[in-house]
Amino acid sequence: MAKLVGGLGTSHVPSIGAALDKGQRDSPEWKPFFDGYIPGQRWVMDQEPDIAVVIFNDHGNAFFLDKVPTFAVGCAEEYRPIDEGWGPRPIPLFKGAVEFSWHFIDKLVENRFDPMICQEIEVDHGIQVPMELFWGRPAEWPVKVVPIFVNVIQYPIPLPSRCYEMGRVLREAIDTYPSDERVVVLGTGGLSHQLQGARAGFLNPQADQAFLDDIAIDPGKLAAMSREEYVDMFGSEGAELMMWLVMRGAMDAQVVVRHKHYFVPASMTGAGMIVLENKISTAMAA
Amino acid sequence: MTAEREDDRIPDTPLFDRKRALRGYRINKMAMSLSNAANREAFKRDEESYLDRFGLSPEEKAAVKSRNWREMVRLGGNVFFILKISAVDPVRLTEIGAHQAGMDHATFLRDRLGKR
Repeated sequence: MAKLVGGLGTSHVPSIGAALDKGQRDSPEWKPFFDGYIPGQRWVMDQEPDIAVVIFNDHGNAFFLDKVPTFAVGCAEEYRPIDEGWGPRPIPLFKGAVEFSWHFIDKLVENRFDPMICQEIEVDHGIQVPMELFWGRPAEWPVKVVPIFVNVIQYPIPLPSRCYEMGRVLREAIDTYPSDERVVVLGTGGLSHQLQGARAGFLNPQADQAFLDDIAIDPGKLAAMSREEYVDMFGSEGAELMMWLVMRGAMDAQVVVRHKHYFVPASMTGAGMIVLENKISTAMAA
Repeated sequence: MTAEREDDRIPDTPLFDRKRALRGYRINKMAMSLSNAANREAFKRDEESYLDRFGLSPEEKAAVKSRNWREMVRLGGNVFFILKISAVDPVRLTEIGAHQAGMDHATFLRDRLGKR
């Protein structure tokens, strides 16, 4: 069966991609941020995953308000970078893990999740930036992807607990997938930031640091929080953090934190990364 | 005029709920259309008639034309959509933030984002 090699959490701030496009990776403003991802990049190189399941939200690019799926799963052959207003970014298209996507969709529906199913869709910075942060800028991506889109923009957005439960189904899909492929799961978004209203620019580094601890040791607490608590604590767009719970739900109860990084502010956002492994698989490898 | 409503439960934080999603539909649809290069050119060529194509009210048009971000949000605009206006007429995201916060840019960077 397929193997879950680990769970990654990361911000997906669009300015990160823009900084790479402008050749600012090693600028004084950005270097400390990007350097913090080097251990995560090494971990990915060592693990050699075949499939990356990436949970993110579309930011009003592939979906307008005419149709807003609460959860959508891609099962396309390929995903092209979308034009967000500045033209499509010059990065390679993403190849889809089509078979696994359909297997996952089957498992979701059998477990009473009913996602929108997308055979053709373009993708925005929500998946682009995490892929660039962990895999750099290759001529082509060395992994196939499964995008999971979560609506965290138009209310009602889903409950954090629902995201956590979806992660459990993702794990079941990985554990029952007849293949020897290696799967990594990326929960993306956050950390604290607010783009709308008089509280725009709100940051909460203390809560961000606590989140990076809790996502490993006490995810149940994060899953039990209300949406309003997320917004209050992490800002209106900080509610994106609930998408990390899909990743965490796919992991075992006991995990080991391999790497962690926090940097503030990346543009208007508290930016963070975490690399998790299941405790049992770490013990077996030792 | 602030972007918030009396029934907003989190201070100074306008959640994009059904009222705003309905109120802002036209303005967001217009902004969404700027994801298309030909539309961006049309917007640049003749903004007034471009806004008319999307049925924007005089109040909505005035907010867009004056790049009044706070007012656009008050009218139901969501930053993820209206941000696309800044792709046609460049403005930094932090300036959009500062405008909504009612601060000048330098103060916003220092007081909200902790930059010095």
